[in-house]
Amino acid sequence: MTDAPASRLRNFCIIAHIDHGKSTLADRLLQDTDTVASRDMQDQFLDNMDLERERGITIKLQAARMNYKALDGKDYVLNLIDTPGHVDFSYEVSRSLQACEGALLVVDASQGVEAQTLANVYLALENDLEIIPVLNKVDLPGSDPERIKNEIESIIGLDTSKAIECSAKTGLGIPEILQAVVDRVPAPEDLVDNLTKALIFDSYYDPYRGVIVYFRIISGTITHRDKVLLMASKKSYDIDEIGVMAPEQKKVEELHAGEVGYLAASIKAVADARVGDTITLFNAPAEEPLPGYTEAKPMVFCGLFPTDADQYPDLRESLEKLQLSDAALKYEPETSSAMGFGFRCGFLGLLHMEIVQERLEREYDLDLIVTAPSVIYKVNMLDGKALMVDNPATLPDPQKRDSLEEPYVRLEIYTPNDYNGTLMGLCQDRRGDFVDMKYMTTNRVTLVYEIPLAEVVTNFFDEMKSRTKGYASMEYHLIGYRRNDLVRLDVLINSEKADPLTTIVHREKAYGVGRALVEKLKELIPKQQFKIPLQASIGSRVIASESISALRKDVLAKCYGGDISRKKKLLKKQAKGKKRMKSMGKVDVPQEAFMAVLKLNK
Amino acid sequence: MNYPRSAYVHIPFCHRRCFYCDFPVVILGDKARGDYGPGSRTVQSYLKLLFREISLASKGTPLATIYIGGGTPSLLAPYQVADLLNHLNNQFGFQDGAEVSFEIDPASFNREELMGYIEAGVNRFSLGAQSFDNVMLSKIGRRHEFNHLIDSFNWINEFFLEGKLCSWSLDLIQNLPNQDIEAWKSQLEKVIDIAPPHVSIYDLSIENGTVFEWMQNRGELDLPDSDLSADIAILTSSMLKEAGFSRYEISNFALPGHTSRHNRVYWSGSEWWGFGQGATSFIGGKRFSRPRKSAEYKQWVKKQEVEGSEASLGSKRNSPIDLEDMLLTGLRRREGINFWQLANDWGWDKKQTHIFLNQLLIRWDDFIKGGLVKNYGERICLSDPEGMNLSNQILVEMILWWESLPKDAVEPPIL
Repeated sequence: MTDAPASRLRNFCIIAHIDHGKSTLADRLLQDTDTVASRDMQDQFLDNMDLERERGITIKLQAARMNYKALDGKDYVLNLIDTPGHVDFSYEVSRSLQACEGALLVVDASQGVEAQTLANVYLALENDLEIIPVLNKVDLPGSDPERIKNEIESIIGLDTSKAIECSAKTGLGIPEILQAVVDRVPAPEDLVDNLTKALIFDSYYDPYRGVIVYFRIISGTITHRDKVLLMASKKSYDIDEIGVMAPEQKKVEELHAGEVGYLAASIKAVADARVGDTITLFNAPAEEPLPGYTEAKPMVFCGLFPTDADQYPDLRESLEKLQLSDAALKYEPETSSAMGFGFRCGFLGLLHMEIVQERLEREYDLDLIVTAPSVIYKVNMLDGKALMVDNPATLPDPQKRDSLEEPYVRLEIYTPNDYNGTLMGLCQDRRGDFVDMKYMTTNRVTLVYEIPLAEVVTNFFDEMKSRTKGYASMEYHLIGYRRNDLVRLDVLINSEKADPLTTIVHREKAYGVGRALVEKLKELIPKQQFKIPLQASIGSRVIASESISALRKDVLAKCYGGDISRKKKLLKKQAKGKKRMKSMGKVDVPQEAFMAVLKLNK
Repeated sequence: MNYPRSAYVHIPFCHRRCFYCDFPVVILGDKARGDYGPGSRTVQSYLKLLFREISLASKGTPLATIYIGGGTPSLLAPYQVADLLNHLNNQFGFQDGAEVSFEIDPASFNREELMGYIEAGVNRFSLGAQSFDNVMLSKIGRRHEFNHLIDSFNWINEFFLEGKLCSWSLDLIQNLPNQDIEAWKSQLEKVIDIAPPHVSIYDLSIENGTVFEWMQNRGELDLPDSDLSADIAILTSSMLKEAGFSRYEISNFALPGHTSRHNRVYWSGSEWWGFGQGATSFIGGKRFSRPRKSAEYKQWVKKQEVEGSEASLGSKRNSPIDLEDMLLTGLRRREGINFWQLANDWGWDKKQTHIFLNQLLIRWDDFIKGGLVKNYGERICLSDPEGMNLSNQILVEMILWWESLPKDAVEPPIL
């Protein structure tokens, strides 16, 4: 390990759209600097979780320290800080950018710039990062580096004369990238003698050592004997261990300003060492924390219920465990007469919600019913009070309400201009207000809308992708609350109110949604031995009804001879399906039905 | 050790593959015959292989029921059937009055051949009529026509009345494409008119890799919806009941004294030998399906000859037949199951049986109240037609009950 002075340190990250090859490039850098021996190379070293590897996206950031002998013959330490690549995690991205002085902007040499990349580049520019454009996948037949360079220049305004063409797959351009990091990314400021301030840019929960905190020291030093204070959580800890990521954790005695490392201090939950918090020394605290810390604010909510009521304690325990490693996950108990005991959970966005759901089912082996996502509504009551409601089923009756407000986002869609029309149609259909349309290049357009968040979290993304054959990308951020004429749409299954299917919709859309909803439920709920009425209502007024006729025949009467194993297999499969359904009253409702509102045939 | 007293023998050859069929069959063309001409060499070499497999079985208990199914066994010449039965007889012996069933397909035999099969030792025919409607028959890929059926009925009934046959069965498929209830009703009337002592009625199901699956994917199959198929099933049950048939198993109806003894073996937990390509056997508590393809079956027989058949067929049984299987199959029968008896065989004591049975009855509460499940003291059965027509729902609930039981209760006891 080199005890590198600040002048020999370079801290950088990689900004890239999903699929543009960030992880492969990171792997290459680790390999070329002999940080990881080729034989130990797992594909995509930085993405640790199975889920990440499967989805090909980075959810939790990681970091790696590389030793590199530059052309000047001197040894440098390069710290690569990985960033998550999804809109749900833009706060985490901004913190990891703050820990760097430079960024590699990786763009696929055939696909060009995407909305997510754009958003992250702007974040990097706000943090004064030196940006090195890298055109990846130039070995592919469809690549057109010159066109993409023009695109980067005209859209972002970056000088691409020194852009590096590379192929992470073949290794082309990798030495040039490493040298460019040394030459062009500024060394960190040498603030070793100042009071200690370190920025937490990631943390994860380790069941044996407590929370492992990843940080970048901005000023001062931290040694393995120090007692540290976390300035936002106001908690102090004796350090058990500090070290660097090489990329495996390697203990050291001291780290100084400019360096990137980890610490363990028997911290119980990641919520106590949140991304963005400032670490200082307990005995010599800094006066001001580093700027930019914000609390995690869930934007999307849904109910999580175990299919089998006996699994409720397991679900609670799993959520507790998950929260140890996911500071953005919020949950509180929810009970409903229809669903029994469960939890209402808050997430940063839809992807975050899906990840949590999948981890619960996969890592904790739970069968879950997830209700359709909802947002937080602001209810202005007649008595002048205001309520925040994250569960449509708990929206107060209309007689007590004065008005309802819903969160709006500024939505930017970046698309080839062929799809303008269909996307504007989509936005209008989702109650969006047109703000702007900008031509970025001759055939690429940014559409800007102000649109209710509720409309965005209900399968907007999928719809946008399918209307544009996957070419469009999007970005949004919250801009505040607006008053709208909203109503609560209830659903009754077999004459019993099905809370988890309650949704809040604009009055003008209520009839259409109500009709489409009962029709969809009729498709999704299997026939049972009795007739099942389905109704959609606003208050006590039924606005749409359907019914599922009784099941009268369900029998295996095929000729199989003595081969009963086939019959048994079919019955077992049917039993498995039934087990995954939730009984509401006497009706077995499959999981898909709770998401029906996302799948309406409009 | 008790050896099976039943044997199923598979004759995989067919002229063509019917559009609904996913059975292990070998297609030989419309002119094929077992004894000479097209396809006969394939048939003959298969029979040799089959006889080799039979000779590997442990000599033991004489057989009480034999079922030669297919495919189209009636592609074989009578002397070939005699040969086959001789092999079985030499290997196991036949009990007095053994039931020897033989599947025949209309238009693949004449009167002389039928008589020849009887002389070879067959005493029960199962006639694959499938439908009486010529348009329907060609639509489902059958080779025969209604006039072939008339001939078949006349010949078989003649032999039956002369006492040369113990019984015979007529097989039909319900819920075929474009089936309407009136047409089905007139078919049932014809069945009653012809008066076979045994009728099997199967539901059409669309299986992977069949012509029907392909047509269904193209939207070219107009199958009865679930309401119509329920109406059809109810009509079948009521008309046959009216005519004196008893529905002794979900798909099988018989006049008094004419239930198929071989058929009952399948549902009662008794064991049987299986011989031939694709055949399933149940020996030593173990179900085993032979390879479905000719070449693989041949390899398998060779392997048995070298290694002995113990490994794949199971040897001495050391636990009773899975209780879950006994319940699943037993409930397909009119008489249902004796729950207490089965539970006792499985090793549950009275207290356990009482508790577990109660849990099952609670899960079945709606079915019992609705009259779908009948509980007569120790015996439990499904009602006809309500319970039988919804048997999957009832059995699925039972599977969930079984899966909810404590681990040691579902583990097989050691005998």
